[in-house]
Amino acid sequence: MIFVRNLTKSYADLRRGEFFALRGISFDAYAGQIFGLLGPNGAGKTTALRILSTMLQPSSGTARVNGFDVVREPDMVRHQLGFVSANTGVYDRMTAWEMVEYFGRLYGIPDEVLLPRMEDIFARLQMEEIRDRLGAKMSTGQKQKVSIARALVHDPPLLIFDEATSGLDVLSARSLLNTISELRGMGKCVLYSTHIMSEAEKLCDRIAVIHRGRILEEGALDRLKAEHDENDLEELFHKLIAADTSTEADRHAVAG
Amino acid sequence: MNWSNVKLIFFREVRDQLRDRRTLFMIFVLPMLLYPFVGISFFQLSQFMREHPTEVIIVGRERLPAEPALFTAEDKFLSAWAETADESGEDANKLLNLRFDVPLDEARDLLQEGTVQAVLHFPQGFDALAIAGSGNEAIPEIHFNSAKRKSQVTAARLKRVLFGWRQAIMFGELSRRGIQPQDVEPFALAEMDVADESLRSAAFWSIVFPFLLLIWALTGAFYPAIDLCAGEKERGTLETLLASPAARGEIVWGKLLTVMLFSFVTVSLNVASVGATGSFVLGKFQSTLPNLGSPPPLVYLWLFLTVIPVSALFSALCLALAAFARGTKEGQYYLMPLFLITLPLVVLPMSPSFELNLGNSLIPLTGIVLVLRAAIEGDYALALRHLAPVAAVTGLCCALAFRWAVDQFSKESVLFRESERLDLWLRIKYYLRHRGATPPVAAAVIGGLLILLAQFGVNFLIAGKTRSIVVAALVPQLFAVLAPALLLTFLVAKNVRGTLSLKLPKAWSLVAAALLAVAFHPLALEVNTLVQQLYPLPAETQQAYAQIFDTDLSLPLMLLAFAVAPAICEELAFRGFILSGFRHLGHKRLAILFSSIFFGLAHFVLQQSIIACVLGLVIGYLVVQTGSILSGMVFHFIHNGLLVTLSWLMRDSVPALHGWEWFITSSAEEGLRFQWPAVAFAAAITLGLLTYFRRLPYEKSPEESLQESIERQGILPAWR
Repeated sequence: MIFVRNLTKSYADLRRGEFFALRGISFDAYAGQIFGLLGPNGAGKTTALRILSTMLQPSSGTARVNGFDVVREPDMVRHQLGFVSANTGVYDRMTAWEMVEYFGRLYGIPDEVLLPRMEDIFARLQMEEIRDRLGAKMSTGQKQKVSIARALVHDPPLLIFDEATSGLDVLSARSLLNTISELRGMGKCVLYSTHIMSEAEKLCDRIAVIHRGRILEEGALDRLKAEHDENDLEELFHKLIAADTSTEADRHAVAG
Repeated sequence: MNWSNVKLIFFREVRDQLRDRRTLFMIFVLPMLLYPFVGISFFQLSQFMREHPTEVIIVGRERLPAEPALFTAEDKFLSAWAETADESGEDANKLLNLRFDVPLDEARDLLQEGTVQAVLHFPQGFDALAIAGSGNEAIPEIHFNSAKRKSQVTAARLKRVLFGWRQAIMFGELSRRGIQPQDVEPFALAEMDVADESLRSAAFWSIVFPFLLLIWALTGAFYPAIDLCAGEKERGTLETLLASPAARGEIVWGKLLTVMLFSFVTVSLNVASVGATGSFVLGKFQSTLPNLGSPPPLVYLWLFLTVIPVSALFSALCLALAAFARGTKEGQYYLMPLFLITLPLVVLPMSPSFELNLGNSLIPLTGIVLVLRAAIEGDYALALRHLAPVAAVTGLCCALAFRWAVDQFSKESVLFRESERLDLWLRIKYYLRHRGATPPVAAAVIGGLLILLAQFGVNFLIAGKTRSIVVAALVPQLFAVLAPALLLTFLVAKNVRGTLSLKLPKAWSLVAAALLAVAFHPLALEVNTLVQQLYPLPAETQQAYAQIFDTDLSLPLMLLAFAVAPAICEELAFRGFILSGFRHLGHKRLAILFSSIFFGLAHFVLQQSIIACVLGLVIGYLVVQTGSILSGMVFHFIHNGLLVTLSWLMRDSVPALHGWEWFITSSAEEGLRFQWPAVAFAAAITLGLLTYFRRLPYEKSPEESLQESIERQGILPAWR
C-alpha cells in the first residue's frame, strides 16, 4: 500500500542553515494494518506525511501510494488517501454536512453515491447532532469527527492521521482511537503519527521510530519489544531516542 | 483544468465570505452608510464652514480725500469698490470689520499676534488725487501675514477694494478732462462658457468616479483575499484543501473569482451610493456649487465595463500577496505598500496636463483612468482609439498577476512558512554564514536596490565636480555598479566564477553574439524611435544628450566611457550577480525579466529605462543560453560602440551619412534610423540568431529543474 525508499527532504533554515527534515527514510505499510510513525516533536513525521499526501515534494527518494508515485502521479495519489491533521482543518463558516459534501464533490463522487455514503458516515461517527452546526461552534472533538468524515467521504484505501488526538479530551481521544481500529477492520491501511506511546501501543501493528529525520527502528511492535528486551513501548522509545541523541553528541564532539 | 472544481471552490468561498460579518460590513453595509453619513455631516458642518468676518485696521484715514470717498459714514468700505464678478459689494463688505483707532506699530503687533488679519496704511504724504506722473512716492501699504491663509484672503480682498477706488479716481480725472472712461478702454471682456450642465457634471464625475473605482476595487479585493489565503493558512484549512484532488490552479481560480466578485460588488455599491448621495448634496448646494448635477446615466455603463478588468487585476495581485502572508495580521501590512504603489498611478492622470495619448495609455491603471475619464466626458472617439492598448496592457498585467498568484500557491516555502518573525539581521547572518554556490533571490533584489542607491549617491556626489564626460561616465560605472556587485558576490556566493558566469563560451557563440549585436542594432533604433514618439524627451534632456558628443574627445575615449565600461561593469552586475540570484526563482524567463527591470531602472530616465529593459532581455537570454558573461559583454560593447561611433561621426553635421541615405538616415526629430529594407533584413537575421541561441543546451539551476518536474506533473502550466 505504502512504499517509501530513501526519502529525503531538506530546506533552507535561517537558524540552522540547510536543514534536513528527512534523511533517507524507508518503510512499508500494508492494507488492514495500522502503521505507527512515532517520534518527538520536530522529528520529521509531519514532513513525511505531507510528502505522502503530495503537499510537499521530496528532495530525493521514492514514495508510492497504492502503486502511484507521489511526484509523478500526485492526482492519483490524492484519490487514494484521506488526510486528518492535528489542527482538524474544519472551516469555521461551514456546517459539518456542507463541509463533507464539499469535499465529496471535489472528489467527483456522484450524488447518488455521495449522499447515502454521507448518511452512513454521519451515523457511524455519531455526528447527527452536529450535522447543521457551523465549524466555529464545534468542540475540538466534534471538529475532529468532521475531519475524519471528510477524509472518509471518498472511501480511500489509505488514511493518514497526523497527531490526530492532540487537543482532544480523554473521551474524544478514545472515540477516535476506536474509529481508527474500526477502519483497520474495514481493510484500510492507516498511517498513524503520534508522540503518545500509549496510543501507539494500543493501536499499531507495526511502527517506525523517527528522530531527527532518520528512522531508528522499524518493524512489528512485538518483534521490536523482544529485540530490545522491553515490554513497555514508552521505555523502548526513550531508549532509542537517548541512544541516538548520545551518538549524535559523540559525532559532534569528534567533529569539534 | 477541471472547471467543475473551480465552480465548487468559487461557490464555497462566496458562501464563506457571505457568512463573515466583517466582510459583509465592509462590502455591503459600509458603502450604504458611509456616504449618506458624510453627506449629512457635510450639511451639519457647512454652517461652520461659512466665511467669518476678518479684522482690518486702517491707519491714516485722515489723509484720504472726501471725494471719491473710500469709506461710508458707517465706517465701511463703499460697496461699489468691493464688488467683483463673483461677489456683491455688500457681501464682501460684510466680511471686513474695519477699525481706525490703532496706531501703525500697535496694528502691526496685532497682525503678528493674529488678532487682526490685515493692516491698511496710508502713509504721510500720500495724495490719492495726485496727478499721475507727478511723483506720488508715498503709496498705500497692505500689511498681511502670508503664513496665514485668512490673512492672505483679507489682503486680496483689500487689494480689490483699493483697485476699484483707484479706478473711480482715475475715471473721475478723465471725465474732468473731458474724456469718457469708455474712450480709453480699448475693449471689454465677456466670458462665454460653452459647457452645458451635463458636460460640467460629467467633468466633475470623471474625476470622482475613476478614483473611487480604483480605490474600492483594491479595498474590496484585499480583505477577502487576505481571509481566503492568509486566513485559511492560519486556520489550517488550506492544508486540507491542498491534500484534496483540486489542483493548485483550480484553487487559485476559485479564490480569484470570489475575490473578483467581492471587488466588483464593493465598487458597484460604493459608486451607486456616492452617485446618489452626491446628487442629493449637490442639489442642495446648487446656489454655491456651479450647477453640478447627478452623474450622467451613461457613466454607469463605462464604470461597469471598466470595473471588470480592474477587479481582475487587483484580485490577482491581492491573492498573490495574501498567499505570501503567513497570517491575516501580516497580510494587512501589505495593504499600505500596495496603496502607495497604486495611488500615484490613479492620482497623476487626474492632473489636467495628463492627457490620453498612446504613451500614457500604456501605463497600467493610468491608461484605464484616462480612458474612463474620456468616456465619461463624452469623448468617445478618443476613448475608443486608446481602448486596444489599454486593454492589452491591463490584460498583460492581469495575466502576470494571476501567474504570480498561482506561483505562490505552488511554493512550499510560501504555503508552509512557519510564523517566524521577519528578522532582517538573522536573514543577513544566514546568507553570510551559509553561502550557496550562487546568490539567493533576496541577495539579487538587495544587490539591485543597492546599485540604484549607489548610483544616486555617486551621481549626487560628482554632480558639478567634474567637467569631464568620461570621468562622469566612468565613476558611477566603477563605484556604483561594479563595486557593489563584486562586494556582494564575494560576501554571499561561494562560487564567484559561477555567479558572474565567468566561463569561456564556444567560439561560435561569441561570433553569433557579435553578429546579433550588429543585426539587432537597427531594431534597437526602431524601439528607440517608438519610445521617443510615445514619451517625448523634454527639451532640456535632449540638449544634455546632444552635449555629450559636442566635445573634442577622441573616439577611443568615448568608446571607453560609453561602450567598454558599461559592457564590463553592467554585465558583471546585472547579467552576472543579479541574474544568477534570480535564477533561484526556478523560472529562466522570470529571472531574465527581473534582471532586465533592474537594468532598466538603473538608467533613471524613463525613455532610456524602457530601451535598456528591452536590451536587457536580449542580453540576459544570451548569457543564460551560452552560460557565459562574455557573450553579453561582446553584445553590449558592440551595441553601445555602434551607437557611440555613429553619433561621434555625425557630431558636427550630417555629411558623414552623405551617400548612405538609401541605408540610414538621421534627423533632429527621430535621430538615427535605418531604412525599412535594412530593418527587415536585420529582423530576419536577429530571428535566425536567436533561434540558434535557443537551441543551445543551457545549464539549469536546481530550482529550474525542480520547477520543470512540477510542470511536467501538470500542477502548473509551463513557464520557463
